[in-house]
Amino acid sequence: MTECKFADLIDEYLLNKLSEEKRAQFEEHYFNCPSCFQTMTERDEMITAIKWRGPQIFADIMETEQTRKAAVWDRFFGFMTPKHWALAAVGAALVLLVTFSVIPSLRTQSPQFYLDDHQTRGQSITLISDAIPSRFQWQAVADAWEYKIQIDNHNPLWNETTSDNFIILPDEVKNKMLPGVDYSYQVKAFSKEGTLIAESSKIQFTIPKK
Amino acid sequence: MGELVNDAQSFYNVRAVDKTNPEHDLDAIIAKYRPIVSFRVKKSLGSYMPDWEDVVNEIMLNAIEKLESGKFRGDSSVGTFIYTITSRRIIDHIRKKSKSLKYAPEPTAYPQPHEHVENKERAEMVARHLERLKPKYKEILYLYYYKELSRDEVAQKLGISPRRVSERVNYAQKLLKKMMKK
Repeated sequence: MTECKFADLIDEYLLNKLSEEKRAQFEEHYFNCPSCFQTMTERDEMITAIKWRGPQIFADIMETEQTRKAAVWDRFFGFMTPKHWALAAVGAALVLLVTFSVIPSLRTQSPQFYLDDHQTRGQSITLISDAIPSRFQWQAVADAWEYKIQIDNHNPLWNETTSDNFIILPDEVKNKMLPGVDYSYQVKAFSKEGTLIAESSKIQFTIPKK
Repeated sequence: MGELVNDAQSFYNVRAVDKTNPEHDLDAIIAKYRPIVSFRVKKSLGSYMPDWEDVVNEIMLNAIEKLESGKFRGDSSVGTFIYTITSRRIIDHIRKKSKSLKYAPEPTAYPQPHEHVENKERAEMVARHLERLKPKYKEILYLYYYKELSRDEVAQKLGISPRRVSERVNYAQKLLKKMMKK
């Protein structure tokens, strides 16, 4: 006799493992398939007994399983003396120490965030200078090898790289900047390997009209 | 209401639409679909819900009325027609219960066979027979149904193919059926 193609779903249906869609399909199916319904009721009777009297039906299997687990535990740890346990504890402490001391320092060598258009992720740089500046200054970032400052007026106007946490705006740039126009500046910090590790937000400023 | 199947004709005053067509024989329809509707309702509401039998009776009554009044036009099978009525009634029942109770009824994964003494006795008998199965069948049933591992996980654990797992489960079922008949 050819088995119904839905027969495979019986167990999963009874054990509530079917998705909502499949469950509805199968329910409609067994209203129309006496063979599946018959198999399902027999299976349901068996599963009900298994769930209800499992510890009694499978007492021997459960006991063997427990014994096997205990044997595995003994095999792994049975040979260990108090001295071994103490050594294992010291070893675990060392691993934890290394993990928490070395990993944070490794982190600074890898890219910490990415940029997309206007979003900034990772740490940020706090800018100190805020008025119209000849001198731009920002808080130094640990592990920063150099900083790149950029001034925009919607388009890039000027950029410069420095290892200090400040920069003096050259006169030729100042002379290009017009009163009443909005400008912005931003500072990015790079590691020795050239990886971007921090950036400031974009600060807007206007040169006052005389 | 337990006599519904045997005494449907007088209870509902139903008459067969076309006695020559087994699909239209209302007695046959009740006899065939009541167990299916009961199974579906118990699975959805949980057999511990005291009113599950009332829900089943309402569904059957509704189905018979629609069949008699010609609302069933034969666009789908009778099975699908009764399935649709059943599903809608279950949803209505759960909605109604959600309003009157703090928590809506939730079916348990496997309710204990407590609702009838004979069900409990039968479950006891099934359990006793299962205890006597050969270890290779018991192990499969333990992993697959009791611990609810997937077919692939059981296959991996026992070093056999997933197909073999299904075969062994089906065979265990056959053995159980045979033992129950004795």
